[in-house]
Amino acid sequence: MNMRIALTALTCVTILCAAPWMGAPLHAEHGDFVLMELRIPRVLLGAIVGAMLGLTGAVYQAVFDNPLATPSTVGTTAGASLGALAVLILIPGGGSSLPMVSIAAFAGALLVTFAIAAIAASGRARINDVLLAGIAISLAAGAITTGLQFQADIASTFEAVRWSLGHLTQVGYQGVQLLAPIAIFCGGVLLFHTRALESMIGGEERAHAQGVDVRRTRSVCLATGALGVGACVAWCGPIAFVGLIVPHMVRLGLGATRRVLFPMSALLGAAFLVLCDGIARMVMPNHDLPVGVVTAMLGAPLLVWLVTRRR
Amino acid sequence: MSPSLDIRSLSFEAGGNAILDQVSLSVEPGKCIAIVGPNGAGKSTLLKAMLGLLKPSAGSVRWGEQDISKMAGRDRATAVGWLPQYGIIQEAVPVLELVKAARFRFSESRRASLSAALEALTTVDAHDLSQRSVTTLSGGELQRVMMATLIAQDAAVFLLDEPANHLDPAHQMGFYDLISRQWTSGRGVVVITHDLNLLTQLAPSDRADDVLIIGLREGAIQFQTPLSTPKLGDLLGDLFALPITTVHQDERRYFLAGARP
Repeated sequence: MNMRIALTALTCVTILCAAPWMGAPLHAEHGDFVLMELRIPRVLLGAIVGAMLGLTGAVYQAVFDNPLATPSTVGTTAGASLGALAVLILIPGGGSSLPMVSIAAFAGALLVTFAIAAIAASGRARINDVLLAGIAISLAAGAITTGLQFQADIASTFEAVRWSLGHLTQVGYQGVQLLAPIAIFCGGVLLFHTRALESMIGGEERAHAQGVDVRRTRSVCLATGALGVGACVAWCGPIAFVGLIVPHMVRLGLGATRRVLFPMSALLGAAFLVLCDGIARMVMPNHDLPVGVVTAMLGAPLLVWLVTRRR
Repeated sequence: MSPSLDIRSLSFEAGGNAILDQVSLSVEPGKCIAIVGPNGAGKSTLLKAMLGLLKPSAGSVRWGEQDISKMAGRDRATAVGWLPQYGIIQEAVPVLELVKAARFRFSESRRASLSAALEALTTVDAHDLSQRSVTTLSGGELQRVMMATLIAQDAAVFLLDEPANHLDPAHQMGFYDLISRQWTSGRGVVVITHDLNLLTQLAPSDRADDVLIIGLREGAIQFQTPLSTPKLGDLLGDLFALPITTVHQDERRYFLAGARP
């Protein structure tokens, strides 16, 4: 098993290192510029976002003891989309002001998830009720978002649809500098809870009996995951499937032991997203195919194949 | 000497119904308490209140001088451990990892946790299961592993909720031997059971005085008596509102429910 973990880790690192050279060949005069100023920051951004999505997905599945829990099911993504689209559609020319879109998306993500975390922190809610509340809020936010699009003119609707596909197209190191500290902080806090989440494998009441502060663990993990994913979605839009599929790939390949599952979900998430973005560059060299399209198209069949192969 | 777990006039209400009514009892180290009673008597609720999982509407659960519901998690886990009625585990983790997770309350290295977990598995004779996935275990194996998690947690008092319910007779006997070894070696043990004939398995014949049988009905204590009391059959008969015959065979007592003398 240790051998398999090492091999998987090595493969992920190789993908991350090779990724800048995926896509159209680098020609002599512009090659250096494209590599240093476009491709490498883009790979770094993809790695940070992928790691955050993979880790948060794994932690959410553990907190909710439910294989379907992801940042999308508890409303983080829907809240971010609502925030971003409100700016894109309601404010004329809002799309040209990137910080405003990002700030609104971030605010939306936090608002929704903190509401869920507050429900989780109140003693009365069972964990499945918290998940249900998250799904309900997600659907409501999605409905409002669609309503906004219905009202909008064709240009901003196009802008909004583009945004909601998820992309890694932001140029330069700005996003990396912004997201890296947030991701490191959130990742650290989530990994710090590994032992408590190990104990929760046997259910919340058993974890309580073993000395875990269950309410605090679940609300801190929810809020921290939302902070990290909210920041990523704010910058890159909602990238589908990574938070759901990556933890399952790790679980099926390397087992559900928390100490392996969490860090490997982060690493595989980074490699998976960067690989998908590389494929997007290779398939349509000059069109900037949104990476969210590739993650979904690649991720869904991969997950189905993994699950059926196991049973 | 560790303190005792004291339940003082504990009452619990849910939706206007009294589930527990003025229950008082004390769990001392090296003693065993068996709680018997019909379905819905409040047995499992009593255990959950003793864990601090439920907030009583009156009365208190105390560990020495401390209120159990106000203790920090790790301190509480030093005092009481719990084996729930249904152990459903969906995640395919190795047995050793599951048992190791029960060491949460200890600030120790992973290596130390693992060796304590392995030792606990050896105690319940499940050493050979350590690398198996939890989801592949049989009912009997899973229950032994669950006992190992309790031993790894190493709390002073064990609360066991119908621990041998789903086991075949041989595994039931084996499991009750395990319980007997735990309290005779100095822990406090509370065990809920429906199976009257397992009661006599709780103690070696010379320690029957240290096992207290508590009959719980409609949330209140109907009787409490040592296991050795000769009239236990009559008390159990009243509790379940059934004629119960006591049969003596090979220096053991057996309770036959529904049989008329």
